[in-house]
Amino acid sequence: MSVRIKDLTFSYRNFSLHVQNLQFEGAKITAIVGPNGAGKTTLLKCICAILPAPKGSLFIDGRDIIAMPEEERAKLMAYVPQEHTAAFNYTIQDFVLMGRAAYISLFSTPSSADVQIAHEALEYVGLRHYASRPYFQLSSGERRLVLIARALAQKSDILILDEPTSFLDPKHETELLELAKKLAIEKKKTILVTLHNLDMAVKYSDAMVFMKKGGVVAQGKPDDILTETLLENVYEIKMTIIRYDGRKLIVK
Amino acid sequence: MSNRRRALCIFIYVLPLLVFLFSLYLGPFHIPLRGLFKTLLSPLFPSFKQGLSEGYISIVFGVRLPRLLLAMMVGAALSVSGASLQALFKNPLVNEYILGISSGAAFGAALSIVFLGQHFPRQISAFAFAVAAVLAVLAVAKKSDSPIVSLLLTGVIVSAFFSALLALAEFFASPYALQGLFSWLMGDLSMAGGSELAISFPLMGIGIVGLILLRWRMNVLSMSDEEARSMGVNIGKEKFLVIFLTTLITSAATAVAGIIGWVGLIIPHLIRMMVGVDNRRVIPLSAALGASYLLLADDLARSLASFEVPVGIFTSIIGIPFFIFLLRKSRKIWL
Repeated sequence: MSVRIKDLTFSYRNFSLHVQNLQFEGAKITAIVGPNGAGKTTLLKCICAILPAPKGSLFIDGRDIIAMPEEERAKLMAYVPQEHTAAFNYTIQDFVLMGRAAYISLFSTPSSADVQIAHEALEYVGLRHYASRPYFQLSSGERRLVLIARALAQKSDILILDEPTSFLDPKHETELLELAKKLAIEKKKTILVTLHNLDMAVKYSDAMVFMKKGGVVAQGKPDDILTETLLENVYEIKMTIIRYDGRKLIVK
Repeated sequence: MSNRRRALCIFIYVLPLLVFLFSLYLGPFHIPLRGLFKTLLSPLFPSFKQGLSEGYISIVFGVRLPRLLLAMMVGAALSVSGASLQALFKNPLVNEYILGISSGAAFGAALSIVFLGQHFPRQISAFAFAVAAVLAVLAVAKKSDSPIVSLLLTGVIVSAFFSALLALAEFFASPYALQGLFSWLMGDLSMAGGSELAISFPLMGIGIVGLILLRWRMNVLSMSDEEARSMGVNIGKEKFLVIFLTTLITSAATAVAGIIGWVGLIIPHLIRMMVGVDNRRVIPLSAALGASYLLLADDLARSLASFEVPVGIFTSIIGIPFFIFLLRKSRKIWL
């Protein structure tokens, strides 16, 4: 599945996002990077139609995403927010089950098949034994995994992760990105992820998008586009690129 | 679910029936248990009528039964609407009173009683002003950066505004109308006549059933709007539906029973403490426990003194300290 962006504009207070042309390919990880306030999260939210993007600016395999009914869109793509703050302390199983909302009609409740799918999603992220635990008991790393499990229960081909590694220690950060890689390879998911850690982005992504001030500065394979000039242009500080073990590393 | 929890759920579902039978027995006119059961079953088994006093039949079917059914319906309605609003606004402290729905409905009903007379169905005006109140709260709260705080604050303000209007309506009421109004406003199940029940019962019934059917959806709606939308929820449509149903049942309950406070806050809290926060259980169990609770409170209201005490006074006097006790006692997070 491929996602195509064509002349997407969105304005919010004194910020405006404008993306002319961008394409994400299937079964690949695309990392969106850039300084704070560059519009990375806004772009992701526009793609998920959480923020209102104009009709005719976003397409999945040629179909206009914005014109689609919500539940149909949710079957094509799932959004994993940066964090989840809830008033109610649901059990992990109830929490992951909510990912089935697009498949369950308004006046009914999840079937045993839905519960099965939720369990499989939890199994995949390695938290099957947590099903009956309350969400607030989990560590922040585990919560991220539960959010991903909920998105997996949505059974969509496209997965959109908003800074899934923020506040995670290096071990959990690596585990989470390994999971993303596994999802792209095994489950053929098209993954869009915003990241701050450039080295991780270079290591795990198939493609990178550099953003600055609401626009796209560069896009392509990490190895092809990553240069010291680009980094200085985007982040406005000097960085050095060295080669180690066949891949580019960034030294600040 | 553990066996203990399952047993608790079953108990809560059976409770309304037990309390109902107890309440039917209770009253200034003593009816022996045997006579009571015979009377209750007499429509099904006409042979039971033989030797039964006419007084029994008129007291059970004409006086006690409608009153008890009203108490159960209103208790269930207020608890279900409280639980639903708490999920919808993602805040366990919200209820129909805090959002101003009750004050709007009370003003609407009072206006109808004062200017259109006792016989005009007051549900229409109650619903209209309940809608006005909730729209006012939502419109003002929407403009703010911290929606929950402003929602609660706006609710308080809108409630105060409608209370002032209500005082104005009372000021213009005739002394005769005023006495009825006064007792009804404190929450009184004895004031409703047959025609009001005939209108309010179906309205509350539709709302309660509708919200119970939406119980799982309420879980999804209790997530942030962004999350719910990305999971395929049409937020605008579904929020409207829940607000419409809760406003409908709250105004229908207020029109016949006046302002009965704290039920919509305490009952869902108790249920969440006992069985967890999953609305698939919370909403139907709230209906059952709310029905039992108001029935018991009304038993107190009609049997404690030689005259009727408004039941709304009891729900607040019992409810508030109990709520504080629960908050202090429970170390667990159940919200």
